[in-house]
Amino acid sequence: MQTVDMQQLKAGEVNLGTSIMAVQFKDGVVIGADSRTTTGSYIANRVTDKLTHVHDRIYCCRSGSAADTQAVADIVHYHLQILTQQSGSAPTVATAANVFQKLCYQNKDGLMAGIIVAGWDKEIGPSVYNIPLGGGLFRQPWAIGGSGSTYVYGYCDATFKDGWGKEETINFVKNTLALAMSRDGSSGGVIRMCVITEEGVERLFVPGNELPKFWEGEEVLGKPTKIIPESPAAPMEVEA
Amino acid sequence: MAATSAYNSPGFDFSNTYRNQFLADRGVPLPKATSTGTTIVGCLFKDGIVLGADTRATEGPIVADKNCEKIHFISDNIRCCGAGTAADTEFTTALISSNIEMHALTTGRKPRVVTAMTMLKQMLFRYQGNIGAALVLGGVDITGPQLFTIHPHGSTDKLPYVTMGSGSLAAMAIFESQWKPDMEREEALHLVTLAISAGIFNDLGSGSNVDACVITASGTEMLRNFVKPNERVEKERRYVFRRGTTAIKEEKVRRWVVDEEEVTPVGGEEMDTS
Amino acid sequence: MPDGSFSHPQQRQFNPYTENGGTILAIAGKDFSVIAGDTRQSEGYSIQTRYAPKVFRLTDRAVLAVNGFAADGNMFVKKVQQRLEWYRHAHAKDMPLGAIARLIQTMLYGRRFFPYYVYNILGGIEEDGTGAVYSFDPVGSYEREACRAAGAAQSLVQPFLDNQIYFKNQQAPAGQSHPLHLPLSDVLAIVIDSFTSATERHIEVGDGLEIYVVLTKGRPTQDLEGYRGVKELTTRPDGDRVFLIQRELKKD
Repeated sequence: MQTVDMQQLKAGEVNLGTSIMAVQFKDGVVIGADSRTTTGSYIANRVTDKLTHVHDRIYCCRSGSAADTQAVADIVHYHLQILTQQSGSAPTVATAANVFQKLCYQNKDGLMAGIIVAGWDKEIGPSVYNIPLGGGLFRQPWAIGGSGSTYVYGYCDATFKDGWGKEETINFVKNTLALAMSRDGSSGGVIRMCVITEEGVERLFVPGNELPKFWEGEEVLGKPTKIIPESPAAPMEVEA
Repeated sequence: MAATSAYNSPGFDFSNTYRNQFLADRGVPLPKATSTGTTIVGCLFKDGIVLGADTRATEGPIVADKNCEKIHFISDNIRCCGAGTAADTEFTTALISSNIEMHALTTGRKPRVVTAMTMLKQMLFRYQGNIGAALVLGGVDITGPQLFTIHPHGSTDKLPYVTMGSGSLAAMAIFESQWKPDMEREEALHLVTLAISAGIFNDLGSGSNVDACVITASGTEMLRNFVKPNERVEKERRYVFRRGTTAIKEEKVRRWVVDEEEVTPVGGEEMDTS
Repeated sequence: MPDGSFSHPQQRQFNPYTENGGTILAIAGKDFSVIAGDTRQSEGYSIQTRYAPKVFRLTDRAVLAVNGFAADGNMFVKKVQQRLEWYRHAHAKDMPLGAIARLIQTMLYGRRFFPYYVYNILGGIEEDGTGAVYSFDPVGSYEREACRAAGAAQSLVQPFLDNQIYFKNQQAPAGQSHPLHLPLSDVLAIVIDSFTSATERHIEVGDGLEIYVVLTKGRPTQDLEGYRGVKELTTRPDGDRVFLIQRELKKD
């Protein structure tokens, strides 16, 4: 588990106070993320793409410092291209995850990066690797990350089951992220997802006004009502 | 601490770091850099990019320059607006401009905006935020119009409309309420003017005039002082001082011309050939 | 080290003061006094309002300008006005200017250990009919002067005033001397130029300008009539008179 320690960020640093997720299923992996990037309380980007391509069938989900994770992803992308040229075949997800891990561990003093690596390869099919803050490397059937993830560990533990198909996995990711985004102030916007299989990468998009809805407190707060003003607001009188 | 080298290495000179840290610990304030407490924006439209900037530079609460240029040249088809520490934005953009020219010469191709963006982000990341440059990079290349923001720590965003600097919130309010896809040139230029004006009038760090730059596939148009909404009013009095206003406390005349007399010796000593 | 750890003791405290920008100034003439201030109120890089008066008419012969922390300033003016009202009820006349100055001193010093975070400049007409300016520090130290600037652009305006009013660094022509008092039209021109110039170079100065002019009893008013937008605020006939001139300043 990794959470973003706001105090540790350098002053004015751009932060991905994020909700990210990756889940493997029979034919591939589904990865997902919210789209919020913040500097303090200001949303610097409300439609960020935190699902970053590092190879044809390998993506990563980034959380922590935007600058650090972009730099790391760019370096890994470069290494995987070199590796592909040298070996003549696509690298495995494990290889990519190891390159990430090495960078994150060796530079742990200077980095704020919590990364989930996921994808599909010829050797073992779908796989998900979690690389939390200190630079550890853990293969998991599912992984969540970022500040929003703390709110949904229980939901994931209670909901996840082995042997799901593509549609069930997509719904699991979508619901988990919607729940995390609704509770975490530094997560929000839209949900971006990628389904990575042998056939290719399919991108999915859920707009902010079409997120799955859960308990919204109607019993306590009453039904949401739309207020239509009878006349346009009159300008306030100002002493001049 | 390494011994000071007799040679000048390229790049930044850090030789005063320890001395300055020592002085700072003793409570000696370090000099303040001119910051461009700024509004800069960029906006995508149908066939290109419009960049915009205000023209105020500040040192704390004092206006250091009322009409400075914040839209910097990268290449013919790429421009970059800078916010943050004025010196940092000027030098980073100048350096990347130079490197882009070299790159264009070696590859024999027209430079791409992503190339400039990657160079900038890698440089800013290397310096871990110590180069205080917040940039809006825009241009048109073989792949079409491109617009990026680059934060001081080296993170980048690619968006259809962007703002940066202390007036970025005021400017973004305009874009968030009025931007739409596939605008015409005039419409986009008007929107950028509105966004910069919002910064000029509502953010104390921004002021004076609107600079704009329109980049399309057919060329780049720099509109320096596109709108001047803050001309100074005429002064009520003229402040010309009468000759002799400054008191002369002491007068001393020194003779600078040195009299020189040339004496040509007749004969002279003979060379010693022993 | 503010690293969020608990290894070092940390103390946090609510800061009850804010600096709200703006600038005020006052100049005394032989038989008049001019008190002026801009109307911008700001916090950090944001403008809270473009019209928040900092200069207030207290009586027909006294005008008070307050600058610094706006909440304290407004409360302080309110309390001074209340004390002047009580004085009127007790003595059936307005308090003289010198007495108001002393009152302000005691009120400021009364809060010696939780001061009003404001710089006060009091301008008006003395009982002998001369123009006067009193300037105060936040805890009540005060003196009578011919001119004073305070606030955000004090360091820009005061040297200009020293040069133009006191003729500092200006040598008079041989056999002549500088005038002790300037005419009202010159003073008003210097005040307006002070504010337009401060607006050019200080980010917290701008939006609007309010100039109060107090004239001694019976003084002719023709040199005020040339100004556009002059309003008379005098409440009682046959005494000292107060006028207000409002001007726009740049809004960037």
